[in-house]
Amino acid sequence: MAQKPPESATERVNSASKDEDSRRNIVKEVMKMAGGEKILECIQCGSCSGGCPTRFAMDHSPMQIIKMLNLGMKTEVLSSSTIWYCSTCHTCITRCPREVDFPTLAMSLRNEAIKQNLVKNTSAKFHESFFNIVCKYGKMYEPELFINVMDKSNMSGLRANANLGIRLLKKGKIRIRAPKTEQVPWVNGILEKTSERGSQ
Amino acid sequence: MSQKPSIGVFICHCGGNISDTVDVARVKDAITSIDNVRVAETFEYVCSNPGQEKIKKAINERGLDRVVVASCSPRMHLDTFRQVVKSAGMNPYFLEMVNIREQCSWVHDDKTKATDKAIALIHAAVKRCQFLEPLSPDKVKVTESVLVIGGGIAGINSALELAEKGYQVYIVEKTPTIGGHMSQLSKTFPTFDCSACILTPRMVSVSQHPKVKILTNSEIISLGGSAGNYEAKIRITPRYVDPKKCIACGVCSLKCPVTKPSVFEENLVLEKAIYRPFKQAIPNASVIDKELCLHFTKGGCGICEQFCKSGAIDFSQQEEFMDLKVGAIVASPGFSLMDPRLVSQYSFGLHPDIVTNIQFERLMLQGLHRPSNGEAPKKVAFILCVGSRKTAANGNAYCCKIGCMTAIKQALLLDKTVPDAEPWIFYTDVRAHGKGYEEFYAKAREHLTVFVRGRAAEVIPEGDKLTVVAEDTLLGKHVRESFDLVVLSPALMPSKVLNELASVLGVDLGPDGFLLEAHHKLKGVETKKEGIYVAGAAQGPKDIRETTMESMAAASKASTFLGKGEVTVSPEVACLIPNRCNLCGNCIEICPTKAISKGSNTVNIASVSCLGCGACVSICPKEALTLKNTTEEQLIAQIEGIVEGADPGPKIIAFTEKMTAYGSADLGGQSRRNYSPNIRIIRVPSVSRLGLKHILHAFAAGADGIIFVEGDDSFFKEDRVRELVIKFKKDLGKFGIPSLRLQSSTITLPQYEKMFALFDDFVERVKKMSPIPQEKRIEIKKYLEAT
Repeated sequence: MAQKPPESATERVNSASKDEDSRRNIVKEVMKMAGGEKILECIQCGSCSGGCPTRFAMDHSPMQIIKMLNLGMKTEVLSSSTIWYCSTCHTCITRCPREVDFPTLAMSLRNEAIKQNLVKNTSAKFHESFFNIVCKYGKMYEPELFINVMDKSNMSGLRANANLGIRLLKKGKIRIRAPKTEQVPWVNGILEKTSERGSQ
Repeated sequence: MSQKPSIGVFICHCGGNISDTVDVARVKDAITSIDNVRVAETFEYVCSNPGQEKIKKAINERGLDRVVVASCSPRMHLDTFRQVVKSAGMNPYFLEMVNIREQCSWVHDDKTKATDKAIALIHAAVKRCQFLEPLSPDKVKVTESVLVIGGGIAGINSALELAEKGYQVYIVEKTPTIGGHMSQLSKTFPTFDCSACILTPRMVSVSQHPKVKILTNSEIISLGGSAGNYEAKIRITPRYVDPKKCIACGVCSLKCPVTKPSVFEENLVLEKAIYRPFKQAIPNASVIDKELCLHFTKGGCGICEQFCKSGAIDFSQQEEFMDLKVGAIVASPGFSLMDPRLVSQYSFGLHPDIVTNIQFERLMLQGLHRPSNGEAPKKVAFILCVGSRKTAANGNAYCCKIGCMTAIKQALLLDKTVPDAEPWIFYTDVRAHGKGYEEFYAKAREHLTVFVRGRAAEVIPEGDKLTVVAEDTLLGKHVRESFDLVVLSPALMPSKVLNELASVLGVDLGPDGFLLEAHHKLKGVETKKEGIYVAGAAQGPKDIRETTMESMAAASKASTFLGKGEVTVSPEVACLIPNRCNLCGNCIEICPTKAISKGSNTVNIASVSCLGCGACVSICPKEALTLKNTTEEQLIAQIEGIVEGADPGPKIIAFTEKMTAYGSADLGGQSRRNYSPNIRIIRVPSVSRLGLKHILHAFAAGADGIIFVEGDDSFFKEDRVRELVIKFKKDLGKFGIPSLRLQSSTITLPQYEKMFALFDDFVERVKKMSPIPQEKRIEIKKYLEAT
C-alpha cells in the first residue's frame, strides 16, 4: 500500500474550519516568523525548560510559551518575561527532539512585542538602550548603558554598581570617554538593513 | 489468427450512471460499423443475471469468440465477466473490458464529448481484442519446508508452529545461540512471569523437534528461486568447538587467559575468549571469539585444547556454505537498541551507574547492585524516550512502545527487591495500551513510584551520585534530584543487519527502517513478496505478547501458502521469443524481482516470480521478450484504436500503471471530479512497459499528447519514470515532435486531484500548441513501417 506523503504543517493550518479562525490565524502567523516554523511539532516533553539556565527568572517556561502560541494566546506571550530572559544559549534547541527553535522564535517575538507595545519587562530597556548606543557610537559605550538601565530610585544598588564601575575602570575594562568610530554611518546602515529583515 | 474473429460488444447503461452522460444508442451505432463486430447491444445492467445470460446466449448462438464489455472499471467486475465467458466455454482471457463509467460518464458533463470518448475507448478495445490469445494460469508444486530467519522468541514460536504442522523448518541464527533478547530479561510485564521460565522450555522443544534444524552462527547471504521454491544460500561461521562433543563443563573458560566484556551480560561482566553465551544456551556448547583468541591473534596458546577432556576444540574449522530449498520464509531478525551515547546530555558511558534498561534487567538477575560500588541502589531514576519520538538528528520519530511498561515493571521490581526504594520515572507520556497495562501503571502509582511528567534535560555525575535535572511540566517547576542509579530507555531500532537482509530477500523497508508489511491493517505479516512473511520487532517496535501472536500469524500464513501444495502463477508474465536473445543482460538488471537469470545461451524467466511489469520487454534491444496479455500487437492496436476516430481533438493518451494510478483515476471518478474528456486512459502493467515505438505509433495515429502516470508504490520509482520520459523526449525531438507533448507523474492512490489537475493543465498546454501537421504523422508512420 502506498504511503501518503505527510501533509505539511502549513497545509494543516490552511485547511482549518472557520470556527477557530483567530486561533489558527495566530498559529499561521507565528509559523511564518523566524523560529516559529515547527511550533506544531512540539510534543510538550519539557526538555527545553528542564535545561534552561534562565528558567528561574521566567514567568512561563519555554515549553509553556509554545503551548500558549498553539492555543492562540498571543497577547499573553508577547507580554511575558520569558521572551526577554532567553539568553539564546541554544541548550533547548540542541536537546529538543522536534527541532523547535525557541531562541530564534524569542527574538522574533521580542520584535513583535515592541511593535505592538506589549513590553512589560525592564529588560526590554536594556536591549533598546544597547541598540541606541551602538547606533550612536558605532560600538558599545558601557557607562552610558549603565546609566540608562540602572534603577535610579534604588540607592544601595546604585552604590554597589558604582563600586563595580570603579574596579572595572581601574582594570581598563571600560573607559570614561565615549568611543569614536569613523564608520558610524556604515554601522547604522547595517543595523537598518538587519532590522528590516528582522521585521519581515 | 488466420480466421477472422467475431466480436460481441455489450454496452451497459448502468441504470443511468452511464446512459445519462453517454448516448449509448449512438455508441451502439458507431460500434456496429466496425469490422468483425458481430453483435453490439446495450443493456440496463450487464452485470445482472439477465445481462450475464444475454452474453452467454450471444456466445453460444451467434458463435462469438471475443467479448467486449463496456461498463464500469475492470477493477470492479473483470472477474465477474471472465467467469461469465468461461461458463459459456470461452477462454476467460478473450474478454476485454472498457471503463466508460469511472473514467468517462462520471467525470465528464458534455454529452457529445463523453459519447465520442466512449466510442474511442470501445473502438480501441475492439481493435485490441482481435489480437488476444488464450491464456491459462500455470501451477507449480511447492517445496514443503520453511526458513525462519532469527532465533528469538518470534523465530522459535514460528518454527515450532510450522514443525508441528509437519513442515521441515530451518532456523538461521546469527549469534552462537538461539533465545534472542528475551533470554536476557528478568521478569516480564504485566504479569511478572519469569522470562527464562517461559522461554527456555520453548528453546528446548524447538531444539529437540525432529522437524527443526537450528543453524547458529549463520546468515542468509543470497536468495534465488521464487515463492514456493526459494533457494537460500547460508553462510556458517565456525565456532571452533564441536557442539556434539562439548559437554559444557566450562573448564576451557576457566583456563583461557583472555577476557572480554560479556555480550549477554550487556558489558557489565567480563568473560573469556572461549565462552558459553549463557547457561541455558542452545546449542549448549562453548564458542571461541576469533578476534580475541590468542591462537588466532598471536598464533599460539591452545590451553583450552589441552584441558578439554572431550576433545571438542577444533581450530581447523572453516567457514561453510549451505544451500537450502524452502517454500516459504519467515523473517524475524528482531531489533537492536539505540546507543544512548547519541543523546549526550544523559552522560551515558561517563559514569558506571548510568545504565540502559536491558542492563538493569541483567543487574536484577545478578542481584541488584550499583555497578560502581556493588551496593543496592535506593533512589533510582528511570528516564524514558531516550532517542524516541524524536525527529531531530540521531532520533527515531516513532515510539519505542515498550519503554513505559518496562520502566514501570522495573520500578515495581526495585520496590520489591530493595527496602525503602524510591523509584522516579521521568516520562513524556505514559502509554499503557495493552491488556492489563493500565492496571499495571495504577499498581506502580499505588506503590508510590514518583512520576514526573517531563523529559529529563540532563544527567550530571556528581561524585558518587547522579543528578537529574528536569522540568515537571505539570507543575511548571524545575526538578533537580540526586540518584544512586539512572536507567535509560533507549529507542528500539531495526536490527543492524536488517538493511542487508531486506535487500537479500528483496523486500521493502519502511521509512522508519523496519520491514514493511504488505498492508498496514489487512496484511500485517505479509511482505510484498509472496511466500515471505515477517514476525516480531523487525516489523516495528512491539512487546513479547504481540511478537508471539505475530509469529503464530506468520506461521499460519506460511502454512496456508504451502498447504495448497502448488502455487498459481498469473499467465500475464514475460516470455521469451526463441532464438533472439543475445544475452546482453539488460533484462536481468532491470527486473525488480530478479525473476530473470542467465542461462547457457539465453536467459531464463522464473514465471512464478514475474510480476508482469513488462520493463524487460521494452528494454530488450533484440525484441526477444513479450508480455502475455500486453503483447506488442495488442498494445499498438489499442493505442491506434483510441486516437483513430474522427472526433475533434486534441487527443491525449494517459498511460496509467494498472494498480495504483489506474485505481486512483477510478477513485476520482467515484468522487465525480470532472476533467477534460480529451484524456483517454490506457491501462498498462507499468509505464516501464512502454518504449519509443508505442509513442511514435500514438503520434502517427493521431495523438496530440501523451501522459505517463506511475503508481507511487510500484517497483519503478519517480526517478526511473523521469529517466524514461527524458529519454523519450530527446528521441521525439528527432522526429520533430516538441518534447512538451510528453508529460509524466507519479501518484499515490488518494492523489487523484493531483493527477486530474495535471490532466487539465496538460490539455490546456496542448490546445495552445499548433497542431501536428498530417505530413509529419505520415512521415512517422513510414519510418515505423520501414523498421
